[in-house]
This record gives sequence, C-alpha cells and structure tokens, in this order.
Amino acid sequence: MSAHTYKKFENSTSGDLPDKMTIYQDCMNTFNESPVNSKRCRLLISRLLRLLAQGETFPQNEATALFFSISKLFQHQNDPLRQAVYLAIKELSGISEDVLMATSSIMKDVQNGSDLIKPDAIRSLTYVLDESTAFSAERLLKSAVVSRHPSISSAALCTSYHLLPISEVTIRRFTNETQEAVLDLKQFPNQHGNSEYYPNSTYISQYHALGLLYQLKKTDKMALLKLVRHFSENNSMKNQLAKVELVKIVNDLIYRDPQLFSQFRPLLSDWLSNKFESVQLETAKLITSFATRNSRLVAPELYAAAISALQSLLTVPRVSSRFAALRILNRISMVSPEKIVVCNPELESLINDSNRNISTYAITTLLKTGTSKNISSLISTITNFIHDVSDDFKIIIIDAVRTLSLNFPQEWKSILNFLIDVLKNSEGGFKFKNSIVEALIDIVSFVPQSKELALENLCDFIEDCEFNEILVRILHLLGKEGPSAPNPSLYVRHIYNRVVLENSIIRSAAVVALSKFALTKNDPTLYESIISLLKRIANDKDDEVRDRATIALEFIDSARNKDDVIAQNLIESKYFYDIPSLESKLSSYISSNTDSFATAFDVNQVRKFTEDEMKAINLKRKQEQIFNQKSETTLDTTPEAESVPEKRADANSFAGPNLDDHQEDLLATKYADELLSIEQIKPFGQLVNSSRAISLTEPEAEFVVRGVKHLFKDNVVLQFNITNTLTDIALDNVSVVCTPEISDEAELEELFTLQVDRLLPSEEAACYVAFKKLDEIVMEGFLNNLTFTTKEINPDTNEPFDGDEGFQDEYEIDSIFLNAGDYVKSSFTGNFSATFDELPCEEVAVFNIQEDLSIQEVVDKIILNSSCLPVESTQFAPSDSNSHTLKLFGKSALTGSKVALQIKMIKSSKGLALKVHGKGEDSLLCSDLVNGLMQ
Amino acid sequence: MGNIFSSMFDKLWGSNKELRILILGLDGAGKTTILYRLQIGEVVTTKPTIGFNVETLSYKNLKLNVWDLGGQTSIRPYWRCYYADTAAVIFVVDSTDKDRMSTASKELHLMLQEEELQDAALLVFANKQDQPGALSASEVSKELNLVELKDRSWSIVASSAIKGEGITEGLDWLIDVIKEEQL
Ligand SMILES: Nc1nc2c(ncn2[C@@H]2O[C@H](COP(=O)(O)OP(=O)(O)OP(=O)(O)O)[C@@H](O)[C@H]2O)c(=O)[nH]1
Ligand SMILES: [Mg+2]
Repeated sequence: MSAHTYKKFENSTSGDLPDKMTIYQDCMNTFNESPVNSKRCRLLISRLLRLLAQGETFPQNEATALFFSISKLFQHQNDPLRQAVYLAIKELSGISEDVLMATSSIMKDVQNGSDLIKPDAIRSLTYVLDESTAFSAERLLKSAVVSRHPSISSAALCTSYHLLPISEVTIRRFTNETQEAVLDLKQFPNQHGNSEYYPNSTYISQYHALGLLYQLKKTDKMALLKLVRHFSENNSMKNQLAKVELVKIVNDLIYRDPQLFSQFRPLLSDWLSNKFESVQLETAKLITSFATRNSRLVAPELYAAAISALQSLLTVPRVSSRFAALRILNRISMVSPEKIVVCNPELESLINDSNRNISTYAITTLLKTGTSKNISSLISTITNFIHDVSDDFKIIIIDAVRTLSLNFPQEWKSILNFLIDVLKNSEGGFKFKNSIVEALIDIVSFVPQSKELALENLCDFIEDCEFNEILVRILHLLGKEGPSAPNPSLYVRHIYNRVVLENSIIRSAAVVALSKFALTKNDPTLYESIISLLKRIANDKDDEVRDRATIALEFIDSARNKDDVIAQNLIESKYFYDIPSLESKLSSYISSNTDSFATAFDVNQVRKFTEDEMKAINLKRKQEQIFNQKSETTLDTTPEAESVPEKRADANSFAGPNLDDHQEDLLATKYADELLSIEQIKPFGQLVNSSRAISLTEPEAEFVVRGVKHLFKDNVVLQFNITNTLTDIALDNVSVVCTPEISDEAELEELFTLQVDRLLPSEEAACYVAFKKLDEIVMEGFLNNLTFTTKEINPDTNEPFDGDEGFQDEYEIDSIFLNAGDYVKSSFTGNFSATFDELPCEEVAVFNIQEDLSIQEVVDKIILNSSCLPVESTQFAPSDSNSHTLKLFGKSALTGSKVALQIKMIKSSKGLALKVHGKGEDSLLCSDLVNGLMQ
Repeated sequence: MGNIFSSMFDKLWGSNKELRILILGLDGAGKTTILYRLQIGEVVTTKPTIGFNVETLSYKNLKLNVWDLGGQTSIRPYWRCYYADTAAVIFVVDSTDKDRMSTASKELHLMLQEEELQDAALLVFANKQDQPGALSASEVSKELNLVELKDRSWSIVASSAIKGEGITEGLDWLIDVIKEEQL
C-alpha cells in the first residue's frame, strides 16, 4: 500500500471507508479458501473491524454468514490471525446470535494456546458464553485466575467480572482463588533479563481481582469490612488502581452505614499522604463528600487534612491531578465555600494555568468562595479573562456569575455591569449570549433594585441583536417588568422600534409586550399612545402580528372600559399554568376523547400558580440545581452505580429537595387518575390532597411497598403499591390490613379494602384501604400488614399451576402516619413577617431532640412533615452556626386557610432545642400542625 | 526420493489440497473422542462440544481437515453451515443408545439430503462396541436404514474409540473411496 493511500485510509472523517459490499465479498471468498492465507485474512478482518468501528452494520443474515466463515479460520493455527478472529467474534456478537458456535474452539485455545493468545481467548469468552454454557468454562477460568502470568490472570478476572450477571453461581466457585489473586504479585515471565526500562509488572491483576472480589462480596457488609482491613495492611497493594478501588469500597461501606466512618479514620488519614496522587484524590473526595452528608461524623482535623491534600495537589505537575483536585474543590465550593477559602491563593494562580479547563474551573470555584469583600476584584479578573476563551468556557463562567448573583444580591451592581459588558462587547454565539440574558433575567426577577439599570441596558442591546430568540425573551421581560418601572415610556419607545424594524416573529413579540403597558398605573398617559400604536400595527402585513394587535386592543378595551377581570389577567399574565400538569391533562384529554372533542378541554383542572408562587418555585428550582450538583458527589464515588442503595423517600432519610420532582409530579397525577376511576371511590367526591409516595419496605425486600395517603373531604384512602420481586412465585388476593395505632379512640371508620387479585413476578399493582373520617382533621398512625397467598409459577405457562391452593402468608411493612401536614399544601408569601403578624390564631410549642441530628436534618424533616413551603431561603441551615430560624408557609388543603410557622432551633451539647411558633386562620389546623410537627 | 512422489501427488490433488471431513452424530456418541484418538492416538477427557473442534491431521500422506461438530439439539441446526466442500462425513452412533436410534437415523437422512453433501462419502461408526449390550454394526445399519441410500459410497464399521478398535479400519476405507472418486 503506498503512503498516499495509507493516509487516505486513515482519514476517517473523509468518508473514505472501504466499500461494505466489497469487504463482505472479499471476506466470504478469502475465509473459505483452502488452505487459509493467514496474512490476507488478518488484513481483511482488520478492514471489517474498521467498518464496524465506524458504525457500519450488517443485516443479520450477512453477519451470520460472516461469522461462520470467520469461525472456519479456527482450522488454521496462527497466533496473529487468531487474535484478529477473537476481535471479529467480539464485534459480531452484537449482531449475530450464533457466536456460541465458537465456544469449544475458544475454550481449546484457553487450554492449549500460547501465552500470547490465551488472554485474548479468555476475554472473548465473555461474548460467547451464556447462562447455559458458562458453567462449562468454570475449570478453565479458575485455573487461569491462579495463573502466574499476569495477563492471563487479569483476563480471567475481567471475564469473570463480566460473566457475573450471567452466571453468578459459576463465578462464586472461585471466590477463594480470586481472594488469593489480590495479594499475588504476578510478574511477567522474564524474557529479556532484568531490565530497568521495562518494569516486570504493573500488578494490574490486583486491581482486577479486587474489583471482582468486591462484586462477589458486596452484599455482605462484614465480609467487606474484613476485606478492607486485610488488604490495607502491610502495604500489600502495589497497584494504584487497586488502592483507589479500596478507597471506593470504604466509601461504599460508609455510604451504607455512616457510623462506620470513625473506624476508618486512621486509614483515611494515612491514605491522604499516599504516594499515589490518585489515592490522595479519591480519599479527599470520599472525606469531603461524606462530610456534606454527615458533617458531625467527620473530625475537623481530618477534613482540614483532606483540604490541604487537595490544596497541594493544585500545584503538582500532572495536569489530570490538578484538574481532579480542582473539581473536588469546586464541588465543595457549592455546599460550603467557607471551608476552602484557604485554597484561594492557589486557585488564583491557577487562573493563568495553560490548561483552559483548569483555569475556567479555578475561576468558577473562586466565584463561589468569593466573599462580599473580594467579589469586585474577582469580577475584574474575569473581565480580562473571559474575552479570550471559547464559548463553552464562557458559558460555564456566566453560570457561575449567575449563581453568585443569587447568593450576593447586594453585589448586584458589579455583577450587572460585568454581564452587560460581556453582553455588549464579547464575541460569541447564541448559547453564550443566551446564558448572559438568562443571568440578567434572574437578577431582574430576584433583585428588584437592579431592574431599571438592567432593563435600560437590555433596551440598548436589542437595538442590534442578531438572535431572534434572545430578542423575544428580552421583549417579554420588558413587557413584564417595564410597566411597573419608574419610567415606562422609555421602554415603549424601544419596543416600538422593533415593530418598525424587525421581522414578523419579533414584531409579534413586541405587540404583546406593548399591550402590557396600556394598563400601567405609573403613567396613565401611556394608554392613549399604546392604543394608537396598536391600531397602526393592526394593519401589519403579517397575519400573526395583525391578529395579536387586534386581540390586544380587544382585551385592553374590555379591561379598561368594562372592568373585565379575565381580560385584565390575560394582559398582565397574573397567573401561570403548571406545565407538566397541563401536558399530562392535555394528553389524557386527547387520548380519552369519546365525543370527537365536542366537550371542550377544561383548563380549570390544571394547577395554576400566581406570579409570586411561580417566582418561589423558580427560585427553589435554581437553588435545588445547586444542591443537586453537590449531591452528585455522593453518587459517583461509589464503585458501582447499582450498589448505591436506593434512597428511601421517607422522613428518616429525606436528604433535601428531591431530584426527580417532575417525575414525582407525573406519578402523582397518574395515581390520582387511577384512584378516581375506581367505582367505589367516586362517591367520595373531589380529591383534596395526596402525599408523596413513601417507601414502606427496604428497596431490596421481596415485596417492595410504597404508600400514598389520599385525602377527601370526608374520607381518607391509603394506597399501597406493591411490587413482587420474586421470580417464581405469584401472589394472589393481595391486600393490606391497616390497624390504627390507638384503636380505642379511632376517629376513622374503615369502609372497605380493594385487593389485588393476582400479582405475577416483577409486576406492580395497587391495593387500597378506604376510611370514613369522623372529624375534619384526623391524625392517626397505622400498623400495616401485607396479606396474600403464594403460589408457585409453572414455568411453561408463567401462571400458577392449576389447582394449587397456595400458602396463606403475611408480611409486616412499615407504619404509615396521617399527620397534620397531610392537610396542608405549600404556598408562597412575598412578605413573611407581615403575613405572620396578621394571622389571628396562635400556637407555641417547644421540642427537645436528644437524638444526634444536625440542624439541616431537622430542617429537612420538618419541611417534609409539615408540607409547607420554606420561604426566604431558610431551608438551608448554615453549616457553621449552632442556631437557625426556619420559616414555613402553607394553606389548608381542605379550606384554604393560611398557616405560617416560625421555628427557632438551637443546637447545644444537650441536643437540639426547637421553639415552634405557629400562626393561622384556623386554630385547630394551626395547633395540630405545631404539635404534630416532630412526629 | 519421497519428495518426488509427494509432489506428483500434489499435482493430482491440487497443490496442498486438504480434505475436509465432518464428524457428525448425536451428543455423547463419541465424536470428539474419535477426533483426538485420530490426532494424538489417545483417549482424552471430553466435555460436550459447544460449537466445534477442528484439527488438521496427516494420514497416509494426506492432509485431513477434520471438523467435529457438537451433537446437542441446540447445535445440530448449525451443522449445515459447515457442509460446503466436504469430501466425507463420518457419522458416529452410540450403539448402546437404543432409545435414540430413530433420532440418529432421522438426523442422518436429513443431512444426506442436503445439496452440498451429494458427493460426500459416508462412514458410519457403530461406536462403543466395548460396552455390554451394544448393537452390532449390522443391527445399527438396520436401525439407520442404510440400505436405502442410493448413489453414495457408504460403509459401517464397528468401533470403540476408548479401545481404539475399528477407527483406522474405517478411515482406511474412507480414504480409499475418496481417492477413487476424485481420481
Ligand atoms: N465406553 C465407551 N465410551 C465412549 C466411547 N467413545 C466415547 N465414549 C465416551 O462417551 C462420552 C461422550 O464422548 P464425546 O466424544 O464427548 O461425545 P461427542 O459425540 O463429542 O458429544 P457432543 O460433543 O456433545 O456431541 C465420553 O465420556 C466418552 O469417554 C467408546 O467407544 N466406548
Ligand atoms: Mg464433542
């Protein structure tokens, strides 16, 4: 092959792939030749692999034909060719199911092949073995695991790791061998004498063995503990990945049982000064992320040691270590920036790091550790920096600045000026400009003082902005905020300019924005001019623009001259629909259409929010985003994503706002729809409130049960969603027996139970227990027992055997509590203290918590128990203070009466003291809520 | 010198031509045992074959390319993928397995109907003769309906792979037939 064509072949973007059909034909011809031409076959296989690597595929029949002709190459003993054959089998295993036909031949190579191909043969077993054949490789794998040759042993360990989900029984049989392999320092057979240039081994098989061993033992906490103790002794781990894995195992253990942390303390502080940077990093990551969840359990000295390890890693020569250390610090900066202020000098010098990833991260981290003192100097540093990095980095920086503006509202001026400067003076694409505009919108919405300056500059900006979408957003913002600004007429001029100069998309947006100024109270004279402008626009050549102008004129007329509230609301956008709920209601409207849409969609079913509520929700979301970024740290440090115990969403382990709010919302809608379609439930009338689903079993239990409390005006329905996780047992007549805890004074009368007739393996279904409520607010705890009949499944029919009577059985699940919070919906108030003072009824209670809980844990629990909305960002307790005040606001789900709580917390050596001060319109609700808060 | 003869031979047989031979039969019949008996002259411990074993062996100056395919029900459908260019089929029967004679017969005739095997010679080993109660070669022949075969050179030989009896006799016959037919 000439140099020229070689180059052409290498250039994968030029589209110069070898022709698929030619390759296929060549393969079929050459592979079936006798005798085999090994060089040519190897070359052809490599071309084939290249095709596959580029994403080409073959239809099943061709893939099968290819596989069989490749399998015939096993007749030729030639190591390089055999290696190519394994690779081809690996690739084809995804397309053709016939690869199992290579099993015996591969196993023969594992047994008799040369040391060169043995590891490859072993690895290719992963792709050909299945449940029914895996056992036949047991002996081979076992003897390969104990092989003296590191590559062979590693290959066997990796293959076993991959076969584990396919045939766990087989792999478990060589747990002992695996355990020995961890400590076995295998060396390559000495071929060239002792060479100082080529190390004899990296001891990577230690890592592979440890990885497999962890998988084999991960369900057994005691075994893992023993394992860590055993392998951390005597510096027996030579391989750095193996050491890192050990750190990850510790992380997994303390994630499952935080109390174990203390016993690992000496080990961890030792690891912080390990010779491998990666071990230091992993350990520092473990300590700091554990501390965000369990700050009480981490001694300040250890935390400080972790930070100082990270600090010194910031100045090492290895780029990846610098980056990794910075990344961990950046995560800490989102939760407790005060803890890493010590690193600021190093961070500041990293701004000039030649690696852009590092410099950008350094800046965003600094922005988070920023104090009100150094913000302005930081901003000026970034101003110089931002102009010469790429858009992606610019966006990251802008996002950090945006968070800054939420955290330091008082610094709005320098932040705003910075944003305006980059908006006007920095080159960049749509995403970048959009991120700036979003940051500005945030500042305008949450920092009212900034409004005038921001809007004025945005007006300037739209005079020559090339992006339609951004223009539309700004016009919308002007329409929303402009009318209440001191000088509304200023904006009207800018908006109208757009109508004159721009395309129809922007003109339409401008019309809507303009119409909002017609009712402005700050400048009544505007009414006349808006009307005349709109009338002029009503002759626009574009339909949409014209229509919008005409509608706007109609609305303004009705609102102003006929006092039509609906029209006024429409102009001023007084409320917003909840988009997820709107979406699901609309799609069920469309799918359940029975009368060709003769009945109109009833928009009143959809949840509505007022502007203040919407703002609160948005603010909460933004804060949650920050929160979620930090909770990621806890997730990806565990060795396997699947080993992370599923979070139980109950009060005991509620860890801040939920990740999947949207998902939960949709689920709640689904549950409600299912419930309301049940005949027996219909007489209960409208559903007043539903709780979030609560786990009532461990997530790994045989039957996983989640409970939901549904509240009606005079009834309560408990829903139990049961998942049968057994593989070969069906459950018949599944129901839940609920026994009130205080049975003699039960204010609830059980009406009926709806059971699940049959629950097959891995199915989920709901059963319900309905009660009549004898009082308006009834609080009660229920002991719950799952009752059912088990029947074995006939594997042929996947149904129970005919005539099987089954066994009656029961299973205790966690209790469910109906508390005052279930009668409350969260709501927003713009001015908490004023609202609080106005409310007539009052209740005060004092609690003392002996349990060793942090303030944040108590805050989380109270928010969940009360169903109220935390306001004024009081849901975040400062980590460096012993006291905190939580402010909550909500409304009765039954009557809509307001209730507000102010909870003062003080932590001392004796525990945590709470003083709950509740006020409300309804004295009963207020006192129930206050007194039942810590249940 | 031997070289001259072998190069003359090469000309007759096409240069370096290898003969493809398939060993087929139900699972546990003794196919793999026979293959390695032929190759290394010893009894090896076997496992049920998932897929195939292929070995090249020299026999009487000939290069034989012998394919031993697994006989399990799940693997039988794949036999046909290896029929092309086959000079001969060795069909191995476990002579003690009376219950499955009809299955063996069915698989044999099904295979022989294949277009690609029309010119292939057939050698049947009535294997495991060392076992008490093994059917004799003629009994097996009857069970398999061999007399019905038309237009095909075939033979049945009583064998014991374990004791090494009958195997070379069978193969000698097979090689003679192939040489004859291809000359
Ligand atoms: N007594 C006796 N046992 C034999 C003879 N030949 C094979 N066996 C045994 O029969 C069993 C199966 O032999 P294999 O050679 O593995 O059978 P196979 O036909 O290759 O089976 P599959 O690979 O599953 O199709 C083994 O235990 C052999 O030792 C024989 O002539 N006499
Ligand atoms: Mg076999």
